Amino acid sequence: MIRGIVAVVILDLKRFWVDRVRLVVGLAQPLLYLFVLGAGIGASSRMGGGDYRRFIFPGTMGLSLLFSATFAAITIVFDRQIGFFKAVLVAPIPRPAIALGKIIAGAIQSIVQGMVLLPFAPLAGASLGPLQTVEMIGAMALAALTFSTMGVAIACRFNSTTVFPVASNAVLMPMFFLSGGLYPLKVAPHWMQVAAHFDPVAYAVDLMRGVVLGEFFFPVALSLGALALTMVLLVSASVRVFNRGEDDSSLGASRLGWRR
Amino acid sequence: MPNPPARTPDASPAAVDVRGLVKHYGSVEALRGVDVRVEQGEMFALLGPNGAGKTTLFSILATLRTPTSGSALVLGRDVVAERDAIRREMGIVFQEPAIEQRLSGRDNLFLMGLLYGLTIAGARKRASEVLEQLGISDLADRRAQQLSGGQRRKLELARALVADPRILFLDEATLGLDVDARRTFWGQVRSLADAGRTVFFTTHYMEEADVADRIALIDFGVIVALGTPRELKARLGGGIVSLTTDDNLRARAWLSEHGFEPEPGGQEIMLLHADPAAVLPELLRNLPVRVERAEVHVPSLADVFLKLTGRGLEGGSKP
Repeated sequence: MIRGIVAVVILDLKRFWVDRVRLVVGLAQPLLYLFVLGAGIGASSRMGGGDYRRFIFPGTMGLSLLFSATFAAITIVFDRQIGFFKAVLVAPIPRPAIALGKIIAGAIQSIVQGMVLLPFAPLAGASLGPLQTVEMIGAMALAALTFSTMGVAIACRFNSTTVFPVASNAVLMPMFFLSGGLYPLKVAPHWMQVAAHFDPVAYAVDLMRGVVLGEFFFPVALSLGALALTMVLLVSASVRVFNRGEDDSSLGASRLGWRR
Repeated sequence: MPNPPARTPDASPAAVDVRGLVKHYGSVEALRGVDVRVEQGEMFALLGPNGAGKTTLFSILATLRTPTSGSALVLGRDVVAERDAIRREMGIVFQEPAIEQRLSGRDNLFLMGLLYGLTIAGARKRASEVLEQLGISDLADRRAQQLSGGQRRKLELARALVADPRILFLDEATLGLDVDARRTFWGQVRSLADAGRTVFFTTHYMEEADVADRIALIDFGVIVALGTPRELKARLGGGIVSLTTDDNLRARAWLSEHGFEPEPGGQEIMLLHADPAAVLPELLRNLPVRVERAEVHVPSLADVFLKLTGRGLEGGSKP
């Protein structure tokens, strides 16, 4: 089991390393939010430009982690199309090991992307002390793991590389916008505050923001609990899809078309 | 065989033992009752047109699909109930590429080794061994996508061999390769079989099936014929040996005396025989005349298929 997970993780990280230029390209989006959107909205907000940038830094970090983790999960869909996954599927490793390996590998890729963004914190006015940095990395790791679980849970149900990005965007963008990443939840309309309670991204962003600003919207224990619950539910959902017995070659996506 | 032996897991079970295998996809009957037994060490071909059920049978044996009914044992173990145990014993080459194109061949094999439970050092060593064995060490450090079609297929074969499997399954493994590359590929597989590994492969190229020890012809989800390539060809009523000798009259007399029935008349002696290629050496050794020219016409597997099903191999099973 452990060996199987390690094998899947090494496999994905090797492939990630081939595409390492993605780390640089992946910086573009959060920096755009931080310094362009952030400057524009910040100038027109009551907080003022500097404070607003500092405020949305954890939000853009969340965005970066969210998209890199989900993008890592796309390899599941991609492999299924080129047949590579079949070779993994007929290997004598338990199915849960594949699901867990994918989740861990996605989280690592996501956290590496986050670490590339982290040095920009001082530029956004969010300088972190040594203890804060450690706390921040801890919160990032938790967020990355949750987001990777979400990515895998979505990806394992698709077998088309064209459908998956559309579908995942349809889920991820609302989650990000509701998370309070770009505005304070406490001044948001009541229904958005209620909705945010069902949004794992909101808890993850709130933890990171708490580290930077020192004030939390959700109690810390609630955030930790919500993220843990999300992970437990989604991991077991993914494992169930990976475990589906009939017609393993399609890995649970069989409803979207079969092949002889 | 009137009394087939009871199915107990013995010391050396059949490599593949399939009985009454049925597979439906919704209303489509891909397999309609298949019985096949492949002995260990055999090289066995499953030959049939596209859509005949080859890939379905292959996928069931490869533990990728489950049968609707009937049973399939690989090395004495059930492909459904004992899936994990036989996965260790199998090496599989798929129709579609199953190597990561952006990684090097060596990395691909190394990762496969890890998936089959080798340690990191063990997987590295095994990757080098297999590359060496197939003679592709010099290509090993290039990205797979930079290799030619034939080289990539060799890499697929190498991938299947990483776990040192007792049985190799290949599904249309040379699809899209030119004749030369196909010949090299099958030469390599043949030597693996000669070294004692069981090989089970599907193909719709009859010249590929010819390298097998035995062939099963499959059509519309049932096995329509099974035997060695020679036996199958002999089903057509055999082939023809034609001989030109320095004394045709004497040759004809000798042939008649020894139970052959040469066709009357003609410049050459025409001889119908069930297995002309096997009988020719005997004739050449024993004829009391000098043979100036000898020719053998053997029907192809395509002819056999045509005779058995009324259709060619290339056409596909769907009417």
